[in-house]
Formats: sequence, C-alpha cells, structure tokens
Amino acid sequence: MGLEWYITRRVAWAVIVTFIIVTLTWALLTAAPNPQVSQAATQAALQGGDPAEARERARELRGLDAPLHERYIDYVTGVYTLEWGWSESRNQPVTEALLESLYYTAQYSVPWTILTILLGPLVGIYSAANQYSWKDHVATGFAFFGYAIPNFFFGIILLLVFGVYLDVVPIVYNTDVAVFSLENAIQLVLPVFVLVTGSIGGTMRVSRNESAEYINADFVKTATAKGVSPLRIYARHILRPTMVPLSTTIVAQLLYLFVGSSLLVEVVFGIPGLGQTTFQAVIAQDTSLVLGSTLFFTFIATVGNLLQDVVYTVLDPRISFDER
Amino acid sequence: MATDKSNPNFDQVDWDDIASNSGRELSTNAIGTLISTGVLVAILLYDYFIVPANSATFEAVGWGYDVIPLDYMFAFTLILFGFYAVLPLYQNPRMTRYYWKEFRKNRPAVVSLIWLIAIFLLGVLGPLFISPTESELFRKYQPPIWMTIDQNYVIECVGTLAGGACAGTWQHPLGTTQGGKDILTMIIYGMQISMKVGFISTLIAVVIGTAFGTVSAYAGGMVDEVLMRYVDIQQSIPTLILYLLIIYIFGGGLWLLILLLGIFSWEGMARYVRSKALSVTEEEYMKATKISGASSYRIIRHHVIPNSASSIITDITLLIPAFLLAEAQLSFLGLGDSSVPSWGQLISAGRSDLSFAPWIVLAPGLVLFLTILAFNFLGDALLDALNPEAETESE
Repeated sequence: MGLEWYITRRVAWAVIVTFIIVTLTWALLTAAPNPQVSQAATQAALQGGDPAEARERARELRGLDAPLHERYIDYVTGVYTLEWGWSESRNQPVTEALLESLYYTAQYSVPWTILTILLGPLVGIYSAANQYSWKDHVATGFAFFGYAIPNFFFGIILLLVFGVYLDVVPIVYNTDVAVFSLENAIQLVLPVFVLVTGSIGGTMRVSRNESAEYINADFVKTATAKGVSPLRIYARHILRPTMVPLSTTIVAQLLYLFVGSSLLVEVVFGIPGLGQTTFQAVIAQDTSLVLGSTLFFTFIATVGNLLQDVVYTVLDPRISFDER
Repeated sequence: MATDKSNPNFDQVDWDDIASNSGRELSTNAIGTLISTGVLVAILLYDYFIVPANSATFEAVGWGYDVIPLDYMFAFTLILFGFYAVLPLYQNPRMTRYYWKEFRKNRPAVVSLIWLIAIFLLGVLGPLFISPTESELFRKYQPPIWMTIDQNYVIECVGTLAGGACAGTWQHPLGTTQGGKDILTMIIYGMQISMKVGFISTLIAVVIGTAFGTVSAYAGGMVDEVLMRYVDIQQSIPTLILYLLIIYIFGGGLWLLILLLGIFSWEGMARYVRSKALSVTEEEYMKATKISGASSYRIIRHHVIPNSASSIITDITLLIPAFLLAEAQLSFLGLGDSSVPSWGQLISAGRSDLSFAPWIVLAPGLVLFLTILAFNFLGDALLDALNPEAETESE
C-alpha cells in the first residue's frame, strides 16, 4: 500500500475520465445535426433532386443509419485502436494530420516548456531574496503583465513592432526551413516569448511566495550559521521545498496555456500546428478532424492532470499514501 | 442556580412567541431584491405583451432604447449584486471601514478599483444614452487625435489634411474602423458586452459552485464522492476546445457563450466551498447551532456561505478576467457572436489593417489588457483584506 498503489489507482481513474469524456463528445456530436448530411440535402435540392433521399444516402454512406449502440461501440473501438477516420478537408487520415501538426507544435512547445521550468523558479526565488526591493517590484510587475496581457493580443503587437516596423522577424511562418536552423529559431522567437511571458507569471508568483516562507526558516538559519554558501542555500535548502507546490503550478500553467492560448498564438503567427489544425477543421466543418483533435487535447489534459497529482506526491516525501 | 429564578421556567416559555420571531421575516435585502425583480418582470411582461414587436421598449416615454432579453438577465444580476454585495457594505459600516483600511494599503488595487468602476458605469449607462455608431464608408480609417495617417488610405479626412497626412480629430478621439465606425463608441458598447459576460457567467458559476460545494459537504458519503468525482472530470475537459466544438455544432450566440462560460468554470468554487463547509462543521459554535435546532438551510445560509465568502469573492476576481479573455479569444477566432460589438470582435476586425491603422487593434486590446490587469490587482488586494490569515501564511 504505497506509492505504486496510489499511482495505479490514479492512472486507472485517468483512464475512466478519458472514457467518460470520449463518450460525452460522442453524445454531443450524435445529438447535433451533421453539417455534411444537411449539406448533401441542400445540394440535392439545388440540383433539383429529392433532398430527403439525398439525406438518407448521405447518412447511409457515413454509417449514420445503424442503431445507436452499434455506432457507439464502433466509435469507442475506433478511438482506442487509433482509427480516427478520414479528414475530408486535408485528404489524409486524421491521425496522420494530427501527427504532422504535432511536429510544428512541438517546435515551439519544447523551448517554451524548458524556459518556463528554468526561468519561473529562478526569477521567483530571486524576487523573494530581494523582497520588497525595486528588483522585486520589477519582477512582480513583469509577472502581472505577462499574466494579464491576452496572449494573442501580445503576439499581434510584437508581430507589428518586430515584423512590420523593425522588420527583424518574418511575418509569414515558413514551413520549409530545417528545424535546427537560424531561420527557424528567428521565426519561433516571438511565439515562444509570448507563451513564456504568459506561463511564467503564475509560476513566478507561487515560487516567490513559497520561497519567501523558507528564507527565514530555522533550517536556513542553521545552514547560514554553519557557513554554507548563499548559492548552495538557495539551490539546496530553499529551492527543494519550493519545488513541491511549484511543480503543480508549472504543470497546471503549461497545460492551461497549451490547451487554450497556444491555439490563438498559432493562428496569430500562422504556425500550422495542432491548434491551427483544430481551428481550420472547425471552419471547414470537418467532423472527423474536429473530433480527433478534441480527443487529442482531452488526452493531453488528462495526462497533464495525472502528472500534476503524481509529481506532487512523488516530490513530497512527507505525504502518506495510506490515507489517499 | 440563582439566575434560573429570574428566567421563566422551561414549561412556561411561550413557544409560539419564539417561533414567530425565529428570523422567518424577510430581511431588507430580500425585500429589495423581490421588489426590484418584480419591477423587472413587469417591464418584461409589458415589453412582450403590450409593446409592438418592432418598436423600442420605452417608446411611450420617448426613449429609443430597445431592451433585449439579455438585458433582463443582466439587470437581474445587477439587482442581486446591489442587494447582496453593495448594500451589506452599507449595512455594516464598521467592517466596511476595516476592509477599506486594509484595501487602501495596496495602491495599484485602488487605481484598479477606480478603473473598474469607471468601466462598469460607462458600460452600464453609456449605451443607454449614446446612440450606436453608424457605418460611414467615407470616414474610414480616421486616426486617433494624436496620430496621422497617409491620405492614400482615407477617402474623406475629417480632421486637417497637411503634407499628405490626415490628422485625427476630437470627433473621433480614438479613430474609426474600416467601416467608418467610431472606435470610442464601439469600446463603450463593448464594455457593456464585457460586463454582461462577466456578471451573468459569474452568477451562474457562483450559484452552481456553492450549491455543489454545500450539498457535497452536507450529504457526505456516496453523494459527496460522486459529486467530487464529477468535478474532477469536468476539470479534465479542455474548455476552449469544448467551446469550439459546441459553438461549431450550435452556432455562436452571446447567450450560448455566457451559459457555457458559467457552466464550465465553477469547479474551483465548489471545492473551496466544500472544504470550507467541512471545516466550519467542525467548529464548536456550529455544534451549538445544530443542538439548538437550526435547519440545514439556515446553517448553510447563515454560517457556511458567509464563512466561505472571502474565497468565493477572490475566486470571482479570477473568473471574470478569464471570462472576458475567453470571449475575446472566441470573437478573435471569428466564432463569437458577430452581431454584438465586443472588444474581441473589434480586435479581430482590425487585424487585417494592422500595418497602417494599428489603433483599431490597439485601443480595444489595451482596454481589455488593463481590465484584466485591474481584476488581478483587485483580487490580490481583496485576498489580503478579506482574509488576514492567508497573508500570514504566505509570509
């Protein structure tokens, strides 16, 4: 009855949650009128055919005339065997379309995540070490700024200043450049910067408040008294206990922005990533692709929440698992 | 046992007298709410049954403002806000002075409060008296007063034309859009949309959240487990994608958006209220209240909810900016209600003209940014003022 048991139960719960959300998505899409079917009917009516007949044919073609439970079972097996259907707007399997987009999303997500994990705690502890000085106020101001400015709006402004007026970054995202090239780095600077300012604010605030708690703690005074260097005190004695609550915040912040604002940032900067794909699928009324990307984001969100809980319990040795 | 002598004996107590004084009579707040809501319903009925379909609601008194269904909901929310948030501050002057003393220490928060009150008043009252801006194609791309624009872009320059550049005028202090609409007026109308989104969604979230939290804490056992697991599930749903999906299926009206925002954002509140309710139940005075026969409703209404008010209010200051942001994001993507002039719609409309007419994007974007910032400062200060324990904990 220890950590393993807790994690097992937590993972099992995550599987149940995804299953429930998958079912809800299916119910939602089944209850709604299918745009492609009504489109077929409209087209038939325009060409002088029988709209009712065309509707029936379109339903038959997509297997919509089968009984509900059969369609549900088909759908669930499809979801879990990764057969997510055919994307009509992109003319390729949904999984392939999603993987292709993931390639572009990863290019800015990886530096963004690394920078947030590195910079957030650092700036927070620096702020706590210089509490109530002008440095602290500048850092706090920056945190609030990053937290409050709408990411998409910030992206537009940066693009205007650096892309249009100063002309140092390209305005149109170029998909042809190699991943590890200077051109790619330059065109990804702005989106990464926008997302880092967005995610660093909350992280910084939490790390500042948490580490401020430990700066005057007895064990830090002991360490100072026995002559431990300040750097080592911050790295070993203050950062470690701070990381426990902070890890939850970091995962939550990254997750929140990943499933939310990154979509807008991709649209603003024209990056053909997951968010952009989802958005285009909605515009093109491509049901399979909309469903596929929804599922993908749901999986990410569930895994993120799982990670959040597990990291917290793994990092804090004081937590007893028997009560959970 | 000398004191017992002065009191009537237990069998002599007039229970009817006590029962009639047990606090069943309505408080000033409830009476005020009922009367105002009654007036509102009367206007609603008058609007539906007496006023002809195509004429403005108050045409009889010569006022051209047509009330739309959302306005009634907004007015109802404002009534509740007035009688249960503002009036109590007046009724308890001592606590109000104390809160204000604590709140005043945080200068950015005071500035934020002034900004938010200004937005609130302008947003609620502005559209009642300023007529909506009309599209005037000849007046497109007029710059704000302190800026100029190359005359190639404008058809007719309202201000002075000097050296091939058109300067802004006081007629359009913040310039005009590509349709020739006045941006300042649009922003003021946008304030009302933002206030509606913020207030109504928050009301929905607070009602569902507190109901879930208290029921969960009170019922306990299986009910608690099921409700809290449901909260877990809802927290795992990626909301923006869900909004996209639902708006894709049902089309994006402002009503639907407000409902969605309210329905999918109360999880945090339910958790706060539940944990607060659980901790309050442990207190000694609570046992005393229970022993003296208070009903569950009374306990929840008079002890649990007032005790969790500070966390509810702090949570609200985080929820409202999130709602405003979500509305702006969806409008920017073109999935919002394009018939309402919200800030997000304006940002999205000006994006294509960014290189030569940046004010169309900048003006609403900055207002949105400052409003979100103000809510954050306000929440920070309220947390300190309402909950002194939290401050000592964090230091």
